[in-house]
Amino acid sequence: MSALAEMLQGEVARAAAETLLTVENVSLTFGGVRALSDISFDIRKGEIRAIIGPNGAGKTSMLNCINGFYHPRSGRITFKGKTRQRMRPYEAASQGIARTFQNVALFKGMTTLDNILTGRTLKMNRNFFWQLLRHGPAMREEIEHRIYCEDIIDFLEIEHIRKTPVGKLPYGLQKRVELGRALAMQPDLLLLDEPMAGMNLEEKEDMCRFILDVNRHFRTTIALIEHDMGVVMDISDRVVVLEYGHKIADGTPDEVKADQRVIDAYLGVSH
Amino acid sequence: MDLIYSIFVDPFLQMAGAPDLLVQTLWEGFVGGILYALIALGFVLIFKASGVFNFAQGIMVVFAALTLVGLYEKGVPAFLALALTIGVMFLIAAAVERVVLRPLVNQPDIILFMATFGLTYLLIGLGEAIFGGNPKVMIAEQLYLPKGAVDIKMLGGVVTLQKIDIAAAVIALAMIACLSVFFQYTRIGRALRAVADSHKAALSVGISLNQIWVIVWFLAGVVALITGIMWGARSDVSFALQVVALKALPVLVLGGFTSIPGAVVGGLIIGIGEKIGEFYWGPLVGGATESWLAYCIALVFLMFRPQGLFGERIIERI
Repeated sequence: MSALAEMLQGEVARAAAETLLTVENVSLTFGGVRALSDISFDIRKGEIRAIIGPNGAGKTSMLNCINGFYHPRSGRITFKGKTRQRMRPYEAASQGIARTFQNVALFKGMTTLDNILTGRTLKMNRNFFWQLLRHGPAMREEIEHRIYCEDIIDFLEIEHIRKTPVGKLPYGLQKRVELGRALAMQPDLLLLDEPMAGMNLEEKEDMCRFILDVNRHFRTTIALIEHDMGVVMDISDRVVVLEYGHKIADGTPDEVKADQRVIDAYLGVSH
Repeated sequence: MDLIYSIFVDPFLQMAGAPDLLVQTLWEGFVGGILYALIALGFVLIFKASGVFNFAQGIMVVFAALTLVGLYEKGVPAFLALALTIGVMFLIAAAVERVVLRPLVNQPDIILFMATFGLTYLLIGLGEAIFGGNPKVMIAEQLYLPKGAVDIKMLGGVVTLQKIDIAAAVIALAMIACLSVFFQYTRIGRALRAVADSHKAALSVGISLNQIWVIVWFLAGVVALITGIMWGARSDVSFALQVVALKALPVLVLGGFTSIPGAVVGGLIIGIGEKIGEFYWGPLVGGATESWLAYCIALVFLMFRPQGLFGERIIERI
């Protein structure tokens, strides 16, 4: 009995320790500006990992490196055991990294449903001649994807705006549609860049609930940048703190909260 | 008084008096309009997917037609020449993506626009160097395009329809229908629309911009080839054809830069408006209205609908 429990515990611990993404000594410069200096951290499978730091600390640059928009000057990024040199964003996407943006990047002229369907782009295999004919296997495939997207729409509670061009939606809903599009990619790693920026309390609570649900039900690993400390400390498993492109702390929310450097740099020194 | 009569009354009396002539004029306007729509379509494709107004579309029409005729003159069978020309258009698309678009990614639209000017002059030079500057005759017969005319007796007169015009209208409409379905329902079509809206979002869901650009420029090239064949069969294949492409401008203003149905409706309004204006009101100002009337029609529309008839509403949250 105790042996079984031990084994199970070991299993759980091993699963928890399995790393999905490792960032090693990554540096990034723009001209003479050092955006990131020698950053290392890892993201474990199934966790919610927060990246925090004051404005201009390099948080978004870090995400951009992970997802291939920026190419680090030095250092290595290993995702699912594969170390990469220069990678294009669509290659990152095909390996299973999805993301949302700080200032929403949606296809404004398209409907909510179409926006979410674009997330399935990489999952559609049928030759486009079949798709043109709207017949046979292509039709079946289209229906499958459509069902998948409708499930996401249900999950995010945005049924009522399925056919609305997203440009017309209020900001909070746009953020939700963007999350939906990222989820449609069935990502292994979901990068969220300030998912709650500019939201009111109620919208924030909804978004928190969605993030936690995504993490639990879809077992999706999430890395997020957020400024709302209450939210970050509540929902994340581990937190990385950046300041001026340097990593100054890394640990559980409680450890980070207690770290003197973080208190000084981030929360402000009292005078 | 006479002037008012000759503007507002007389033309309509003429129309009512000779309905067969009116139908003839409408038909010619219709065919012209469809062909304008075809040119506009080339612009719309590229504008939709990359936000670039491709100034080189006109010369692409000429270049495609010249390549086709040039290959045939070198002794290549007509349909093989057609296939080879399609191949050449693909090579141009790939080269444009690699040499022009990729290095200029993320630059302001105006820079890309200027780059298409460069491309225009490059293609003019290349075309003249390879095929010479003399007008050529389109190989319409060898491509089994019909010749001659059909006379239809109606409304107490005879309406003459050129067979090539009928063929042009049918082919153009089929092409437009295919493209609409392609944009609306296929994965690549959806990706094209996505790229048009936001580059970085498109990249983040795994769409390769480079691939999409090659596809749209290739499609625009094929549309240019078909346009070149049709216009070439009605007149000659020469560099003067390039100027016709500028007629696509008022069509685009009318229809909206991003809409395929818009290009069709815009083309028809311009085509028919032009012919009717020339025929019934032209004599009042001494004729030759065809060269400018289209632009006036476009201006009037622009006042009331700046985004064009079918253009995407510009939604900007502040």
